[in-house]
Amino acid sequence: MGAFHEPLNIIVTGVGGQGNVLASQVISVAAVEAGYRVAVGETFGVSQRGGSVMSHVRISHDRPYGPLIPRGRAHVIAGFEPVETVRVMLDYANPDTVIIMNNRPNYPLGCLLGEDKYPQPQKILAAVQKMAGRVHVLPATELAKEAGSPMAANMVMTGALAGSGLLPFGREYFVETIKSLFKDHIRELNLKAFTFGLEHIGSNVAWRVSYNENFAGNL
Amino acid sequence: MPGQKDLKNDVLDQDLCSACGMCVGLCPYIKTARDRVRVIYPCGLAEGTCYSICPKTGVDVRAMDLAVFGREREDQALGVMQGIYIARAVQDRASGAQYGGVASALAALALEQGMVSAMVLTGGDVLNPYPVLARSADEARACAGSKYTGVPTLEILNRAIREGLDHPGVVGRPCQVLAARKAEHSPLPGTQFNQAGSFGLVLGLFCFWALDPKFYQFLTNKVKDKIIKMDIPVEGPVIEAESGTYRWQVEDLRPYIKKSCNLCLDSTSEWADIAVGSTEYDPAWNTVLARSDKGRELLDLALRLNVLEVGEYPAERFPLLRRAALNKKMRVLKMQEYQPGRPGCPVVPPEYQKQLEEQWGGIGQ
Amino acid sequence: MTIMGVCCDKPGVKVALTGNESIARGALEAGVGYASSYPGSPTAEVLGTLAKLARQFNLYAEWSINEKVAMEVAAAASFTGLRSLVIMKADGLNVALDFASALAISGCRGGMVIVVGDDPGAHSSVREEDSRNLCKALHLPVLEPASVQEAKDVTREAFSLSESLQLPVVVRCVTRVCHASGDVLLGELAPAGRRPAFNQGDRVITFSIKLHALQEQKLARASDWAGNSRLNSYHGPGDAGRLVIASGPCYMYALEALEMLGLSEQVGVLKLGVTWPLPEKLLLSYLKTAAEVVFAEEVEPFVEDNVMALAARHWDEVGKIKFYGKRNGQVAGPNGPGIGELDPDVLAQSLSAIWGTPYTKPALPAHQEIFDLLGTKMPDRELALCAGCPHRASFWSIRTALELDGRGGIVLGDIGCYTLGIARTGYYLLQTMHCMGAGVGIASGLGKLDCFGFDKPVITVVGDSTFYHAALPALVNARYHRASFMCVVLDNETTAMTGHQPHPGRETTATGEPADTVPMEEIIRGIGIPYAVQDPYDVEAAIEAVYRMLQQQGPRVLILRRACALAAVKGKQKNRVYVDPEKCIGDSCGCSRFCSKVFACPANIWDAESGKARIDEAVCNGCGVCATLCPQQAIVVERTV
Repeated sequence: MGAFHEPLNIIVTGVGGQGNVLASQVISVAAVEAGYRVAVGETFGVSQRGGSVMSHVRISHDRPYGPLIPRGRAHVIAGFEPVETVRVMLDYANPDTVIIMNNRPNYPLGCLLGEDKYPQPQKILAAVQKMAGRVHVLPATELAKEAGSPMAANMVMTGALAGSGLLPFGREYFVETIKSLFKDHIRELNLKAFTFGLEHIGSNVAWRVSYNENFAGNL
Repeated sequence: MPGQKDLKNDVLDQDLCSACGMCVGLCPYIKTARDRVRVIYPCGLAEGTCYSICPKTGVDVRAMDLAVFGREREDQALGVMQGIYIARAVQDRASGAQYGGVASALAALALEQGMVSAMVLTGGDVLNPYPVLARSADEARACAGSKYTGVPTLEILNRAIREGLDHPGVVGRPCQVLAARKAEHSPLPGTQFNQAGSFGLVLGLFCFWALDPKFYQFLTNKVKDKIIKMDIPVEGPVIEAESGTYRWQVEDLRPYIKKSCNLCLDSTSEWADIAVGSTEYDPAWNTVLARSDKGRELLDLALRLNVLEVGEYPAERFPLLRRAALNKKMRVLKMQEYQPGRPGCPVVPPEYQKQLEEQWGGIGQ
Repeated sequence: MTIMGVCCDKPGVKVALTGNESIARGALEAGVGYASSYPGSPTAEVLGTLAKLARQFNLYAEWSINEKVAMEVAAAASFTGLRSLVIMKADGLNVALDFASALAISGCRGGMVIVVGDDPGAHSSVREEDSRNLCKALHLPVLEPASVQEAKDVTREAFSLSESLQLPVVVRCVTRVCHASGDVLLGELAPAGRRPAFNQGDRVITFSIKLHALQEQKLARASDWAGNSRLNSYHGPGDAGRLVIASGPCYMYALEALEMLGLSEQVGVLKLGVTWPLPEKLLLSYLKTAAEVVFAEEVEPFVEDNVMALAARHWDEVGKIKFYGKRNGQVAGPNGPGIGELDPDVLAQSLSAIWGTPYTKPALPAHQEIFDLLGTKMPDRELALCAGCPHRASFWSIRTALELDGRGGIVLGDIGCYTLGIARTGYYLLQTMHCMGAGVGIASGLGKLDCFGFDKPVITVVGDSTFYHAALPALVNARYHRASFMCVVLDNETTAMTGHQPHPGRETTATGEPADTVPMEEIIRGIGIPYAVQDPYDVEAAIEAVYRMLQQQGPRVLILRRACALAAVKGKQKNRVYVDPEKCIGDSCGCSRFCSKVFACPANIWDAESGKARIDEAVCNGCGVCATLCPQQAIVVERTV
């Protein structure tokens, strides 16, 4: 990606408790450190209670923007959860939107109860690919477990975003931000998880789909 | 095979539950408080162990005789038995024991002999009874004394089986004995009982009916001081309190008798290994019915080890006991509510029914 | 986004802050000396931020017992000449209203700012109350920031306005400002603070009709001030015939919507940073050239109504104007005019319809086509109590005890995490839900209906923080009148919903100082109500406790106490919980998937392939309650020491 969009519209989405709000904060602090203007709108409501959570992050050079991205105008969607990714795409994606998606489902209650069906992984992938040209699926939760805790999936996703080449500033701003926001073993865990995400996506983004068996999407 | 919904509709909501406790704790959906048994959440399954195990659903008296003893009964009054005796505990008669203390002594003996790994009993006192899983003879003796309300003690049996307890024993009312036998012999949809094996001992109690705990409200309204002991002989309840003795008529009890007990045919725990009750004439002794080989052996052992003193059942009392048992059966069979095969109503096959009427007629009213 | 940003002493530098942090920074730049609040979304983090900086900036910060007390303690500081800040959500202003209306008459001394967080769309509230209408009734000026940057600037400005008027000033912030974040250009931090003074003879009294007149004079001065304030601004062509009047973040939406429509050069946008009293002269100057005016504001048509009234009063000066807004239904989101939030899309659509300007939206994915690809509709994601939440165990116990009791007992509730008792994971138990502490009062009322033959047992649930906030008067009332009901305090040892703030039952204060704890047991004992305490994680014992107490008469309290699962595991190694597939019997008789289907903890999931339950280790908080409820004992808890 040569020129960057102005503003660059990123949506970070997932389920309450997955740490997506923290991820969007890391992105915006890094952006401001890199000299950009940023507006973040969080739609979390009673965030810790398992609802859908969506953060709009808008990065621009000079002009300030409002905290909400208009429909169909997301440039990047970082989906921490497959169905939430689809949900956000329905309203905000366009054929040029780039998708970075964690493959780990978080089942809504209705699915656990058998009232709703959680779509099959292959079908989710087909739907995502139908809506967007470039899709990168990664096992963020599994990578986070490797880094030390499944809770660090948010930093794996942040790393993947930082390594995607889609942002107008480098990973060093993220590293500094993580160092400044966390301390002790959480800092180490988050840096490790961030690096795993970064490495997974590769420095020169070879857009590929890694849909591995870890996508335990059966209900 | 029906399930939880039917149990609720057919038994619990019809007030036909005798609070045996067998369905409680099979699953997270059936719970108990005091003598109440309630479905607290619909499990959604069409078929359930809870229904097939319930003593108030689907019992054919003859089929159960065959399943438990391998033969039909000759005596329609008292069921299959090998012998009837009077007995009393020789030593260590448990304090608080009703009559001859035989039930406690046999339960303790079965535990001491390793015949059972644990014994399900009703502990506490008359006003506050609760289930006990006794693992030692002393724990069993501590449960001595009659309780007159339905206590869902088999709940604890389920817990014990789940915890991997092998060959547990049960001391229970006729409905609880039946529940245990159904658990042994029914094809059940759940898996709980597949590893359970048979029960080490099923010791049945005589029971003509159980009372609703509301009876105790009646009691505490009438008797203001501490109740020391309670007995309900045929004439009616006798309460010993600190201030003296109180007596009522059986009729005073009627409003507090559980509806399900009015439809019950079994007053002597007909499918127990051994059944124990009062003599109705000598409070120092119990009536004992040895039914199965296992029950017979236990009684022999108790005699050999000098745990029980056993005597011949007085010939002149025998017809009285039989008449009491037959009267109850005939009363049930003539009730309008009694519809064989309906929940709460055991099925008496025609040949049994015929004998029953003959024997009842033979005894005279 | 960091506390370092809020206290950064580098004027002219840009830092990333949340809206709430920006408000805190604005207060620090204004030299705030005293801050108080009761936690409520969307403004809960303002006081938390200031509390962390209290020592460094020599300011006092407290989580007060409720909003009325918070406003009183802040007013006290203002009476001594300190600058004080009180923060609450819209619902909190209702609680504080009695004092606020008196304070608005007596006035204040040191600058006093009331930050009120409104929640258009009711993201984290039970209603989307527009507090501007109350503020108008209170005769208090209202300032509205449009962005994270303005949250700071407006707060700082509000202090000086308040001090010059000797009147508290309201900063009305909406969720899209409080919960937004962005780059903030820092200003100077105020120099070291003032010293409080309140001497014999000083009087701050709400009395006499003369003060009402003074109040009106203050508002007139505020209106004059507003006309020259930088908080109002205009963007667009001179002498615009088409004008959008916007307030709050709707200003940003309006700019973007006009851009999307290609109308930026033709339509003027007047941003009102002061929405009460209206900057009348300023408004009139724009109304005179405008022929068409569109209002963009949330939630109620507040500016709209008042500007139309202004125009009516000055009809001879402003001439004929066509007004578009919520009153004529032209500015409306998907739920209708005056309901829910606005956003750039809603405004673009509204403006497009008003002015006939075609709006080409980006082509969104064809939803039906996607559903077909998915093979199902999108599964909804309803709100749920967190994994391991002690309230779930409590609600299960209450539900079970009520079923056992069989008398059709009813359950009341109010505001807190336990509000989710209205939904699936609270087994739909709650039958009334209104405001903080209301459940106890309603229970007290139902508990006196026995004389009319109402004999259902009544249970009301109340959180620990709510207990202190609003339950006490109702409990005293119940004891005094012998009202018969059972109050279950769902005590998770924190104010969990808003982010784990302390309350009088805790050992420390907002600033981490040791506190003189006020145990609720002592209060209940003092009122003379029988009570019991039980751990809800011991579900069997909790069922027994609820059942036992249900059989009693008169008021009684059961405290179900267990720390919030999120707070309990914070920074700690969680217990590992897993399912032994050998023991799990899946959906056959004996449990029929109780853990995932009925108990409904989001960590209890279902593996359709194996037909066995599973624990989602990314979600599980390790409480182990499901292990005690599984009838097969198939769930294993590996406890970390």
